[in-house]
Amino acid sequence: MSPKSPSGFARRLTICAGAALTILLLDSAIHALLAQTPFGGPRPSAEPQVGGIVGWLLSKQSEFYREMSATVRAAKSDGSAVWTLLGISFAYGIFHAAGPGHGKAVISSYLVANQETARRGIVLSFASALMQSLVAVVIVGICAWLLNATAKTMCGAEKAIEIVSYALIAAFGARLVWTKGGGFIRALQAPRPVPAMALAAAAHHDHAGHGHGHHDHDHSHAHAQGHAYVAHHDHEPRHDDHGHDHGHVHDEHCGHSHGPAPGELAGPGGWRRGFGAIFAVGIRPCSGAILVLVFALAQGLFWAGIAATFVMGLGTAITVATIAVVAVTAKDLARRLSGTKEGGGALFMRGVEFGAAGLVLLFGVGLLFGYLAAERVTCI
Amino acid sequence: MRCLLGLLWLAGVLAFGVNTAQAHPHVWITATSELIYAPDGAITGVRHAWTFDDMFSTYALQGIETKTKGVYSREELGSLAQTNVESLKEFGFFTFARADGKKEKFQEPTDYYLEYKDAALTLHFVLPLKTPVKPKELAVEVFDPAFFIDFKFADKNPVKLVGAPAACQMKFQRPNDGTANAQKLGEQNFLSGENSNFGMMFANKITVECP
Repeated sequence: MSPKSPSGFARRLTICAGAALTILLLDSAIHALLAQTPFGGPRPSAEPQVGGIVGWLLSKQSEFYREMSATVRAAKSDGSAVWTLLGISFAYGIFHAAGPGHGKAVISSYLVANQETARRGIVLSFASALMQSLVAVVIVGICAWLLNATAKTMCGAEKAIEIVSYALIAAFGARLVWTKGGGFIRALQAPRPVPAMALAAAAHHDHAGHGHGHHDHDHSHAHAQGHAYVAHHDHEPRHDDHGHDHGHVHDEHCGHSHGPAPGELAGPGGWRRGFGAIFAVGIRPCSGAILVLVFALAQGLFWAGIAATFVMGLGTAITVATIAVVAVTAKDLARRLSGTKEGGGALFMRGVEFGAAGLVLLFGVGLLFGYLAAERVTCI
Repeated sequence: MRCLLGLLWLAGVLAFGVNTAQAHPHVWITATSELIYAPDGAITGVRHAWTFDDMFSTYALQGIETKTKGVYSREELGSLAQTNVESLKEFGFFTFARADGKKEKFQEPTDYYLEYKDAALTLHFVLPLKTPVKPKELAVEVFDPAFFIDFKFADKNPVKLVGAPAACQMKFQRPNDGTANAQKLGEQNFLSGENSNFGMMFANKITVECP
């Protein structure tokens, strides 16, 4: 590796990657923020309307949703219409998740903040969508079917659950910020002019207590970079050989697949960490599902509504999982690119994680205090 | 370079996914509105009749007790109508008026009631202006900024002027729905910078000019 030019290229790439990621996350946050301005002026929430593909998506979604009521009615006399209903629900779920739900934003930010794998992103997406469906069925089952409560009561229940969900997201975000803030500050404080020190500090965050005796200074420049790269990966064990494994792979090709196996990242108690995300996101049901369930119940086809709700959840999960995987992959790429740099790369990745953690907190607080518009609960 | 393009592509997909469609309606309303004028030619308020789609109508009727199954009298729907107008207050009744460019405020709704016909609920209510005005140009927009509700005015007689001075001219403009017009409008917006008021794009806009 020639010392100067690849590193310059990598630096530019890193900056681009970082900028892209930041703009993206900020952009979605700002969009969500602006969607709920007071009624005074024109609101930019109509902006997605202008895009051709988005417009198409929107109209598709409306189409599927509107077909649902007709299909449920049809199913009363013709049982085979239930299959149509399930098909529509699935399609609606897929399109719907591309909408303003907070779920995918929170899950994606969480994954980026927490060094999670794509595989876990998929599991989290499916689990939270399943829980969302379940909550919708339970709410309508208890309120409407068992208690024959009015829409007003049901809407009250929805609102209460919504507040709990947002508070949980905020709490969850606060915890992430607390944890990730530490790593970021440590990376900041690391004296960057000496690469070895910086990466020792950065590495410290993830594997506290491990010895770093191999940072002796007769290592070549390339080796030091190898360490920097490994440090970002949150590798748990194998300190004795990583310098040799990775020291040579950092040239301008980023297609190398040398990330750790998913199993290595999901350490003990790893799944428990994700449970908070599932719960915080999944506890709030989707308004569309509630409407469909109540409608199906009124038509005497509650079971069909339940089936539709779960199929809808499946569709939603697929979209959210796709977005989650993209988020994880984008971060992975950014990490690989920044890995070719000295200490600054660690700082950069800690910054990204810290930013993502901050976003989860921001989402939670914003939703809780009404600065952010999520899907409105059906109270009219 | 390949990497950079790949990353940009990923970023684009992610942005698209996260950002797509703040707006997606769950409730559809077919509306008709009347602008009500006083004998002196001042506009006093707006009378709305909003018909909800059948899914939402069914949802709203959940748990409402009736004497005859499937038949809902105005009295039986009274408390629901009350709930409706109370909830709508939070959203400014989705009705936004400007008299000669100046924002006008509305009072609490009067004469509100619900009607159930053909499996659909219709909410009737009058929205009186805080102070009757006599502007040269009046603009009333009806829309949900969050697009949770899709407002579509009736095909026939969407808007009527009641008791307006004979010289007043009414224009009604439907929203550009996000389908066929979206692409074209998008390009126009980018090219000319005009019409940058995106919120207007799904507003139903009533304009009345009285010389």
